[in-house]
Amino acid sequence: MSAQSSEHATEHPQAGPRTYLVIAAFLILLTVMEVAVFYIPALARVLIPLLIFLALAKFGLVAMFYMHLRFDHVWFSYLFVAPLVIATGLAIALLWLLHVFGSTGLRPATGG
Amino acid sequence: MLVPGARTGALRARALPAQPRGGIGGVFGDPPERLAVATTTTAAALPHAGAHAEPRGLAAWLTTVDHKRIGLLYGVTAFVFFLVGGVEALLIRLQLAFPDGRVVSAERFNELFTMHGTTMVFLALMPLSAAFFNYLVPLQIGARDVAFPRLNAFSYWVFLLGGLFINSGFLYGAAPHAGWFGYATLTEKPFSIGPHTDLWLVGLLLLGTSTLISGLNFLITILNLRAPGMSFLRMPMFTWTTVVTSLLIILAFPPLTVALILLLFDRFFGTSFYLPAGGGSPVLWQHLFWIFGHPEVYILILPAMGIVSEVIPTFARKPLFGYVAMVYATALIGFFGFGVWAHHMFAVGLGPIADSAFSLASMIIAVPTGIKIFNWLSTAWGGALRLRTSLCFAFGFIAMFTIGGLSGIMHASPPVDLQQTDSYFVVAHLHYVLFGGTVLGLFAGIYYWWPKMTGRMLDERLGQLHFWLMLLGMNLTFFPMHFLGLMGMPRRIYTYPAGLGWETWNLVATAGAATIGLSILVFLGNALRSAARGPAAPADPWDGRTLEWAIPSPPPAYNFATVPTVLRRDALWLTKHPDARGPGLADAAALVSGREPIHMPPPSAWPILTASAMLVLSVGALVHEVVVGLGAALTIAGVFAIALEHLPARAVPAGGHEAIHIGTTGLDHRKMAMWAFLGSECLFFGTLISTYLVYKGRSLSGPTTHEILNIPLTSFSTFDLLMSSLTMVLAVAAIQRGDTRATQRWLLATVLLGLVFLGGQVYEFNQFLGEGLGLTTNLFGSTFYVLVGFHGAHVSVGVLWLATLWHLTRRGRIGPGQAVLVDIAGLYWHFVDVVWIAIFTLIYLIQ
Repeated sequence: MSAQSSEHATEHPQAGPRTYLVIAAFLILLTVMEVAVFYIPALARVLIPLLIFLALAKFGLVAMFYMHLRFDHVWFSYLFVAPLVIATGLAIALLWLLHVFGSTGLRPATGG
Repeated sequence: MLVPGARTGALRARALPAQPRGGIGGVFGDPPERLAVATTTTAAALPHAGAHAEPRGLAAWLTTVDHKRIGLLYGVTAFVFFLVGGVEALLIRLQLAFPDGRVVSAERFNELFTMHGTTMVFLALMPLSAAFFNYLVPLQIGARDVAFPRLNAFSYWVFLLGGLFINSGFLYGAAPHAGWFGYATLTEKPFSIGPHTDLWLVGLLLLGTSTLISGLNFLITILNLRAPGMSFLRMPMFTWTTVVTSLLIILAFPPLTVALILLLFDRFFGTSFYLPAGGGSPVLWQHLFWIFGHPEVYILILPAMGIVSEVIPTFARKPLFGYVAMVYATALIGFFGFGVWAHHMFAVGLGPIADSAFSLASMIIAVPTGIKIFNWLSTAWGGALRLRTSLCFAFGFIAMFTIGGLSGIMHASPPVDLQQTDSYFVVAHLHYVLFGGTVLGLFAGIYYWWPKMTGRMLDERLGQLHFWLMLLGMNLTFFPMHFLGLMGMPRRIYTYPAGLGWETWNLVATAGAATIGLSILVFLGNALRSAARGPAAPADPWDGRTLEWAIPSPPPAYNFATVPTVLRRDALWLTKHPDARGPGLADAAALVSGREPIHMPPPSAWPILTASAMLVLSVGALVHEVVVGLGAALTIAGVFAIALEHLPARAVPAGGHEAIHIGTTGLDHRKMAMWAFLGSECLFFGTLISTYLVYKGRSLSGPTTHEILNIPLTSFSTFDLLMSSLTMVLAVAAIQRGDTRATQRWLLATVLLGLVFLGGQVYEFNQFLGEGLGLTTNLFGSTFYVLVGFHGAHVSVGVLWLATLWHLTRRGRIGPGQAVLVDIAGLYWHFVDVVWIAIFTLIYLIQ
């Protein structure tokens, strides 16, 4: 059955030790950049987006290469990325509802 | 487990099923010897009596890993808890039957409504659904068991012991008393003295563990153990609702776990997560609880919807109308379920934008629900209806659930909700959904599958009496509550004075509750009569559509003599009534009389022993630290025992028996389960990190982040952990290419790097303590220690896990054929690493 067979795992080329070492070098470089931008006052205005970008890059490299999401069956990506997206969405909503992005403190109960 | 065959000499170790779906095993697999001796045979004429050392009597039930037996255990246990919750409800109604009631004390009334809600949600309705999942899902998908049979047994025992743990408070006058929703600050120490709430929160942590493991197990079972040919759009609707329910469990329970952990810290260690006096916010509890609580409503209702979707087509003798639309509606209900939690909190005063957004989302969720209702009606429309008890309950479900849904849409409107909140109108609404919906739906399932589960028929006349009494009773009980709510009667009040106009409707509601109780007695009589002298059930008493009706009632231990090959949706129906496109199954007769080799999981005592160890740990939380330590040690030992029980004595070479863990998708159950678990962990750490960010800058006293965080030290820790990910992935690569010496080397390096990280964390914590930042100093200290501490605990588990793998590899017990064991540990380790990447950025660098 075609629908079924399309679900079957297929052999994917995996990364080798050489790739892992290159990724490690990138991870170290990104970490050095993170710490460096933290100490550069001129970057204070863009510090948060910059740091989040660098963290996402590191997160992505580990997930795609060390956890093999780039090479493994797509279902593993579904099982991990979908909850990750939901967790991120819930976190953003929670921070918004509790006024982390704007004023602090809760509104008084006024009946909305 | 030995399944003796007619050809007793036909034990053939090499005759394991060639097809990849044979994967029924433990966490780490079964030893080749056991496979050779005890699990491989032919399936023809398989008598149930085991001609081997199979436990019998009570021992058989205590050590069973058979999904059908576990399903029955869930069903019986949950039904007993349903009766307990029902008695609590009757006492509540007796107390409120007349003004100035004095049936129970005010304190006991608090305990009754708290335990009624807790029992019905966590101990009765969810586990009753789990009973159906357990018994039916492997049968419906053509499997011989679930993906992880011993974890399945472990889930059940933790559920049973957790239920007894929570209810034990009644024995010493300390039952939980702060409501099933556990709102802060009612649950905080100043307002709940004694072990009442401690029992509740520790008990829910236990039950959450059980439920989460179950959710993972059923998700992986359905994804990976479907019979050949059973694509997603050929799965029965009940199986579909199990998939979505399992996903909801995996994603919704972690926020509840975090909420309970924070409450545990408040109560046991003196933090102020929910105490305004210490800067905390009770509203945070409400958010975390309802982020779990609203998906929980769908966790409770979706299985009933799945049951109704099986019952109506069978008794209407028509295919389910709009099957694909029903599948998408189920998925959408699950998805939207995560975006509506704050409609439980309109009275908090979230603000007009938030109120509007959640109101809109809540109304949108009515669309997929409406699709389901219209599709059920369309299925019945024009069908050759046979009004058996099961169908009556299914129709009752549709009518009552629709009423509950309509009042739900009223609550989706903030101005209306503000008038109804905390009144009996809400009690009416939720009972039309959870009693009229879930309970009636579950009874539809009980009447439908009782013959399959017990091998006996229920009496139809008693069944009809049960249905009509229950329908009458529930409407008498819950419909007047709409009026009581609109007349201003608040929920959870202990008593009320005469003259408010509430007397009549309260009396009617109490009479209705008594009628429900009577209907339950009729059902119990019917069940006992069936057990004593009910007619034997044929394999297919209703002319069913799904695979479970193709095999005897009750099914044999191995379910299918030959694993079915599914050609079309409604496979069995189309096999019995083929149309122009032919039958739905490749060889239906072989399901009963086939002769393929069968591998069944052997029984195990470790699930119940490990669950008991967790009970010791939980009791210790209320008694003494020494008992906590003992319970923790026993639990760790139990986990090791389960994990290593079936590890082969010698390493498996490449291409060895690990293939038994591969499902029809070609993927390993264990790896898939690890990914699903990591998905769940995203919600866990996401909630912890959110809590940290919510409380950032809200500390009432110092020290704070920029005064104390040590960037150079944590930069080194980050580097260390990133390097451990490198060594870990090199260990995986080494074992995959068969180089065990390199595997040992890289595993050891990873362990050492992990220990260095933990050492750095201990040093950092000591520094902070020296500078005056303790767990209870301020909100920053509390959130920091809990978040970073839980990450550290995960690192510690990883170190222990990897050290064990290193040791086993050195001892020659893990080889290339078991590379997936190192792979899975690696996934966990990398996840811990990426969580640290997030913590390092969000906590340390963004100050």
